[in-house]
Amino acid sequence: MSFWKSMIFRSGHFMQVLALLPLFSTATHPFSPQDQAVQLEVSSEYSRPDPFGAIVEADLGKNEKRANDGDLNTIQLRAARNGYISFHLTAKLPQDGPYSLSVNFQKESGIQVDLLKTWFHLRRADKKYYPDALIPITNPYKAAIPDSENSIPGQTAQAFWVDVWIPRETAPGVYEGDATLQSGSKRSSLKIQLQVSQAVIPEDDALIVDHNSYGTSWLAQLYPKLSRAQGEAFFRSDAVFGLIHAYHRLFYEHRGAFHQLGYGHAGKVGPEFAPALTGTGREKRIASWELFDRHYAPLLDGSAFAQTRRGARPIPFAYLPINPEWPASFLAWGEPGYEAEFVNVVSEMERHFRAKGWTRTKFEMFFNHKKRYKGFHWDGDETRFPKDDTPFLEFNRLLKKAVPAGSPVQFVYRLDASWRLEDQFKSLAGVVNFWVCSSTILSWLPEQLKSVRQRGDIVWTYSGPPAINEPSSAILENPLRAWMWNTDGYVHWLTVGPSADPWFNSEGEATCLAYPGERFGIAGPIPSIRLKIQRNFLQDISLLKALEKTHSPDFLRSEVSKRVNGTKPGDWWNPRPALANLPPEEWNNPGIEQAVASNRHHYQDWNPQYWQAVHQYILKLAEGSQPQ
Amino acid sequence: MIKRCLSLAFVAFNLSTIGYAQTQTHKSLALELEEVARVATVMVDGDVCQRIMTERALKKLFVVDPEDQWAGSDNFDVNAEPFIQTKKTLMRLAKLRPYPIDCNLWMLFKENPRKIQILIRNQYEMSRFWTWGVLYQDIPPEMAEVLASGKPKTVVGKNDLISVLTPVYNSLGEIVGLVEVVSRAQMNWQENVK
Repeated sequence: MSFWKSMIFRSGHFMQVLALLPLFSTATHPFSPQDQAVQLEVSSEYSRPDPFGAIVEADLGKNEKRANDGDLNTIQLRAARNGYISFHLTAKLPQDGPYSLSVNFQKESGIQVDLLKTWFHLRRADKKYYPDALIPITNPYKAAIPDSENSIPGQTAQAFWVDVWIPRETAPGVYEGDATLQSGSKRSSLKIQLQVSQAVIPEDDALIVDHNSYGTSWLAQLYPKLSRAQGEAFFRSDAVFGLIHAYHRLFYEHRGAFHQLGYGHAGKVGPEFAPALTGTGREKRIASWELFDRHYAPLLDGSAFAQTRRGARPIPFAYLPINPEWPASFLAWGEPGYEAEFVNVVSEMERHFRAKGWTRTKFEMFFNHKKRYKGFHWDGDETRFPKDDTPFLEFNRLLKKAVPAGSPVQFVYRLDASWRLEDQFKSLAGVVNFWVCSSTILSWLPEQLKSVRQRGDIVWTYSGPPAINEPSSAILENPLRAWMWNTDGYVHWLTVGPSADPWFNSEGEATCLAYPGERFGIAGPIPSIRLKIQRNFLQDISLLKALEKTHSPDFLRSEVSKRVNGTKPGDWWNPRPALANLPPEEWNNPGIEQAVASNRHHYQDWNPQYWQAVHQYILKLAEGSQPQ
Repeated sequence: MIKRCLSLAFVAFNLSTIGYAQTQTHKSLALELEEVARVATVMVDGDVCQRIMTERALKKLFVVDPEDQWAGSDNFDVNAEPFIQTKKTLMRLAKLRPYPIDCNLWMLFKENPRKIQILIRNQYEMSRFWTWGVLYQDIPPEMAEVLASGKPKTVVGKNDLISVLTPVYNSLGEIVGLVEVVSRAQMNWQENVK
């Protein structure tokens, strides 16, 4: 997959102001009126505070300023069970000094609060500060302004992300809590009123949002202390597998999935991604599962997630290491030995997975290589030339030979497609059954998508995360489109690749949704605001899926579309351009952009708070009422 | 049982051979790579190599389109038969030593004599000259020297990679490219897994 092909959808501006979340009737609530010296303010999850007490400009709608309605000193929340509700708190001090912050609910309520301190990233391009990384902290928390680590000249405010977790078994009703900022003898408090709805967010994800990555070398770069401590053994150490599992856990806890591709464009396989092989030709077989099982067993049996709030569950998808150079050597390509090596090893894998009971994960045979990287003679990824379909057919034959019919182990054949998507929907029908599609190309193929889904294939789209300087809700656009199109998922092509210095010289973090926690003493990743906002959105999507029992999917999409930007579901598709009738070899990138330009206005000028109105609508519908 | 023991012995052999390069001095490793390079010049067929890229891809390769910076990459294409034939030869050459070696094919352009491209890479994804991801690049001085003299050259230095550059000839006796025979004392198994 590649990023550029979907960028045209992410112009990320604002639309007309829609109804704001009623319970956050303004973007902010003021500090306690009893004490003007210290201030504790609240803002919606879409209104990111900056280090000087204002809201990040990108999060304000047109002509919108940070509202302040004077007397409110209560945070009013309404949420479904088995999920989170979130908001920002901002601590403001009139002068530099220490403070403490606490957020609490009645202990017997079972409601849990996670407090995370916001990091303000200095962005290289505009020298402005943008909040994004979230550092888990204690509750209560003690620190000082200015923050000694963030080192912001003139800092007057520290922001926090508050996650309120409402367990499934919580009784519906109103729960009281409070948030208190204390600095010396000065104090500012906000009451919290949480209305717990009878609605329950389903356990299952209705839309898979995947977070992709490549290899493991980045772990050594992002965790230099850990890597140095392990020395040359790092990539075989428990530390590295612990890190990998921690990344899986983070994305799982945020209702997402995590992928790590384990091979390069010329077929080099990282030893931690594949069983070790021995022999050649008929004698080729698996010599050791040691590293593979240490890596994957806790993910495939779900035990890696046992301590999470969502509970143990196997990962839904995993790349296999299969590529043109593994398990069969390309030296035998086209000869009987290639088939022998492939079938021997893949058959062994099937038997191993079956014996282990790893039957809930879809194992992907996927080819990521491109000719331009000079490893092989055909494009496995984003195929452009019809002749390149031939190897796909051959690998399908080999896979079918290796995996017995009726195996409980789920092998799927994945193709990431763009140029030839329409052709390949036909030419590889019955071969590929997992399509990861360029949003741009798929945007003019609604009928073809229906056919492919009707035959039972899995369909995702791909693009990348928005940068931190884009509106907070820009993270929702691609997953929302994937849901509007009735696809099964969406993948961010890279999500663990921060800038060289994301903290003080950020390049925008458009390839990073999870930051390395090492500088904060955490041996694992820490989340971002964008990831949190995406999670809360995915909770809503799961509620929408549950609502399909009582409402037609078309009705739900119409209502959501209307509330997002005043459109109809059909507006989310592009008309078929003339370009689509030419052979894809004759297309070029400007031509593709031009082909979808006429519909681009639907994705422009969205109000940064737009999802709040949709969220309220979904919640009311889930509670059984008939919202307008 | 006997079969199991034999296979364990085979694994042990493989692991030991993977580490073999790491026990050698740079000098002894270079000597062995030079021997592989000598065979490469004999075995790699420059005429076949010249047929690898498609005419269409060659035409698009050097077109500079400010509105479509990926035009060269998106149109990159090869003819399967000469590519596979040459790649298999390079893979066989790499098997002349029992430790990880890559034999990379570098090809010159008639259309642009100052540029060179890596055209076939192999499974360990090693090269001391390729800037990862570029389609073509300026001819490095070490390569220029080999192209001018027709004599192999051993290059040792950064990243502990040791490369031997050796010419590839076509049937007219022209040097049309190079083979880079490359290995390293310390294998990095995670590098370029992306």
